[in-house]
Order: sequence, then C-alpha cells, then structure tokens
Amino acid sequence: MTVLRILLAQTRANFVWYFLRDGEMIFWSLAIPVFFLFVFSFALGGGSTKQTSTFLIPGLIGAQVLSSGFWGVGAMLATFREKKLLRRIYLTPIPSWTFFASLVLYRMSLLALQALILAIVGGIVFHVHVVGDPVSIGVILLLGAATFVSLGTVIGAVVRSTESANNIASVLTVPLAFLSDAYIPIDRFPAAIGSVLRLLPSTQFIDAFRGIAMYGDSLARYGAWIALLCVWTVVGTVVSARFFRWV
Amino acid sequence: MNEPAIAVTNLVKRFGDVTAVDGISFDVAPGTIFGLLGRNGAGKTTTLETCIGLTAPTSGSVRVLGLDPTRRGDFAQLKRRIGVQLQATSLPEKAKAAEILDLYAAYYGVRPRTAELAERVGLEDKLDRFVGKMSGGEQQRLALAIALLHDPDVVFLDEPTAGMDAFGRRILWAEVERLKAAGKTLVLTTHYIEEAERLCDEICIVQAGRIVARDTAPALVAAHGGDAFIDFAARGFALDPSLDVLGRWTQKGERWQVFVHGEPGRALGAIVAHANALDVAIDDLDLHRPGLEDAFIAITGEALDDEAASAKAAA
Repeated sequence: MTVLRILLAQTRANFVWYFLRDGEMIFWSLAIPVFFLFVFSFALGGGSTKQTSTFLIPGLIGAQVLSSGFWGVGAMLATFREKKLLRRIYLTPIPSWTFFASLVLYRMSLLALQALILAIVGGIVFHVHVVGDPVSIGVILLLGAATFVSLGTVIGAVVRSTESANNIASVLTVPLAFLSDAYIPIDRFPAAIGSVLRLLPSTQFIDAFRGIAMYGDSLARYGAWIALLCVWTVVGTVVSARFFRWV
Repeated sequence: MNEPAIAVTNLVKRFGDVTAVDGISFDVAPGTIFGLLGRNGAGKTTTLETCIGLTAPTSGSVRVLGLDPTRRGDFAQLKRRIGVQLQATSLPEKAKAAEILDLYAAYYGVRPRTAELAERVGLEDKLDRFVGKMSGGEQQRLALAIALLHDPDVVFLDEPTAGMDAFGRRILWAEVERLKAAGKTLVLTTHYIEEAERLCDEICIVQAGRIVARDTAPALVAAHGGDAFIDFAARGFALDPSLDVLGRWTQKGERWQVFVHGEPGRALGAIVAHANALDVAIDDLDLHRPGLEDAFIAITGEALDDEAASAKAAA
C-alpha cells in the first residue's frame, strides 16, 4: 500500500511539475494535435472533412503514443540521468520500478487527456464518432503505449547524453508518424514501400487502433499484429532492463 | 559498538585509463566527523560515491554499517540508514521546496517534518519557491534537508558548502555540530581548509587517488605545519644569546623575524622582556601559528585552493 501511495504521489508530482507548470509543454501536447487536426482535415480532405478527420484522429493519437514513449519516457530518462536526478532517486529506498512507473503513468494520463480532447473536438467540429468498444480501445491503446514506452526506454537505457537522446527521439517520432499511416494513408505510397511500412510496429499499432476505435473492428481481427506488438514490448523491456543505468 | 561505521579497504577505481582512486584504505569510528580533504580531482568524490553505492569499486572493498553497498540486499538496507548530500544535486526545476520535502518523506516512509526541516536549513521563507528559482546555495541547503529527513545514522556530504554564502556555511556547520552531538557518523569531502579544520575530528588528505596523511587537525599541524614565527619591528633592537636559542632569526633593517622552535608564547614573552630591558618600543608585532593549510602544503607540495594554485602556475 505504501508503495502504491508513493507511486500515486510521484505520478501527481510529475503531472504538476512537467505538465501543468510548463506552458510550452501544455502548448505542444494539447494545442498542436488539435491544430494539426484542423490543418490536415481541411488541407488534405479531398473528399469530406468527416472522412478525413475520422482517419486523422486515431492517427494523431497514435503519433502521441509514439512521442510519449520516445520523448516522454525515453529521452526524459536520459535527461533525468544527465541532470543527476536519477541518482538522487536511486539513493532513496523506493523500489526502482516505482519511479519508472510514475513516469509512464504520468504520460498515460496525459495521453488520455489528449485523446479525449481530440475526440471531443472531432465530434463537435467534424461530427466524427468513436464507434469502437471502449474496452477494446483501452486494450489496444495500452498495448501500444507499452510497446513504445519499452522501445523508448531502450533509448533512455543505451544513450548517455540528453542531446543525443533528444535527437534520436525526434528522428524516430516525426518520420515514423508520417510513415506509419498516422497522417498519410499508407496506400498513397507505392505498393512495394507500403508493404515494407506495414512491417513497422508503429503502422501495425496505428492501423489496429484506428480499425478498433473508428470502424468498430474486433481485437481478434488484429491478432497477428497484437502478438507482434507484444514481442516488441518484451524485446524492449529485456534490452532496457539489461542496459539501464541509474548513474 | 566497536565495529567501525565505515571500513574502506584497498579501494581502487579506474575509469578507462584514468585511476581516480588508487588504493585507499581507512575506517571511521561511529560518532566521528571524518573529512576527506584534497584538491578537485584528487579522488574524494569517487571514494565517497563508492561508499554510498553509486560507483562500484574496480577492486577493494567498502563496508558501511557492516553492509556492502555493491550487494543488492545490503544496499537496500543501507539506503534507509544513510543520508546523502551530493555535490550537484539536481531536483526538478518546477517543483516547490515544500513539495520536494513532502515527497521525500513519503519515499522514506517517515512523517513529513517539512516546516521543521525548512527552519533548520534556513529555508522557512522559501518553501513555496520553485527549485529552479532558488540560488545554488539554497538548493544545496534543500539537498541537506533531504539528506537529514529520515534521521540517518551515517551522513555523507560531498563538498557541502561549495557555492554557499556565509549564511549557508553557518547553517551547515551548525547542522554538523548538531549531528555530532546526536552521535551520528559523518563523512564529508571538502577543499576548504577552514571547513575541515573546524568540523572534522579526523582528516584524510587525499592526493592523486591516495591518502597521503591522516590524523586530527592539530596533530597534522604539529607534525607537518612547521614552526610558528614572530615578526616585529623595533628600532634599536639587538639579539643576545638568550634570544638566539629561541629559533632561527632573520633581520631586515628594523624588521625582525624568528621561526620559533616549540611554543611561540614563551618566545614572545622573552622578546618583549628583552625589548623592555633594552628600552626599545616594539611596533607591528605579528605571531603566526602554523595552520592546516601550512601542513597541507608541506604534505602535498601544492596549494589547496585552485585559484591560488592556478595563479601560481600562471606566474
């Protein structure tokens, strides 16, 4: 129980320190996705804006999942290490996973907030409806988060300096979102490239998430991809656990 | 308890080709204030970090309260019983001091004593301030409060007053004295002579990863500080054989200087009595007793202070 209380207190502190008190962070994590939704819906919406935004909203949320993992957890851990904040935590008697879990929980709550805002704005402005089963949506979102948090943690574990961690995170997040069916439908790419892009865990996650949330698909339909995401999660976790350093 | 609070045996730590600690051994009796004194880069911080489990020794062993910080189970026990103020403690910039103290109390599972601790470290007016808006010295004092919040048995302070103003130093010194009175064991690293001399029961002088001297401050001074000297001006002063034996004399015009063998007080009395007998007035008298700094320079062959040392190197 005590550990749980510490976990919640630390998660709340993370939310306040790194989000609520950071204007830039609020802007980038809340305003920018909505801004993208408007720009892309009107600019790319060849047909109806409803169709485009139905495609875009899960893509934007999916891109935020990638960025939560790579930036929010991975690069953040490297920053915390370089700023010698991790070693201070390491010297306290809390179980080491608590701090890590609190960082993940904080990003998950932020992600929920981002998803909620996009869904509400999409509903009001573009008449987009989330038709999927809430439990299935929750499962696929959590699995995606687990995959990209564990892969992001590999960056935090292997990379020493904040600067290179940030560079790697941005090199991974931004192009991956464009190549993974988040903003641009994958069939706009030549077929050969498209089939390669479908091998990316980010594409598989975003496609599955979109199908389940917006088109009412069942989890079972994406069984193979879900299995692959689980494999990535395990690989990421094992590599991170092997190489992670507090000091 | 006869067992030492800390026992370091043949500690060696290499980082690649660099040997930071080159065979250091010492033990610290419970209740002792133990100082590692040396220049930056001498290996003090690395030694301290191996004691608190942040750095694994290349070879040799470390025991703190009988526990081995390199062993997982021991380390977990140890963390509850030691308090640590690190040299560059970084706390989240957007956190308030009070929030930090509350959260760390939760980490250690102790009742939050935020107001009391803040007062002890002189931060009672700064509890609502963001860490990022605090001065370096204030951040150091907050780090000190964190180190003490769970009432640890052994406290490690790494350059505790670096970047602190006079107020911060007084607070830290008062806390060290309070901890000593409470029977705690303290290890501190410093490159400030005054701090080592004033606070430490025992001092290890560390140079290039080795301990080159270890004793109490008065003993180090007595053994290595050299002679006291008396320096004065007196027109018409002259030596006689009874004064000759006091020590080694030099004269420059009206200025006289003697490096005294033994206790300078008696020599001073003899000089004054002799001047009275000769009926000459003494001006501008100065008695210089050797201090820890003299001992440090004699032992290591270099000045402690970086600025002084680099000024000397430049000249």
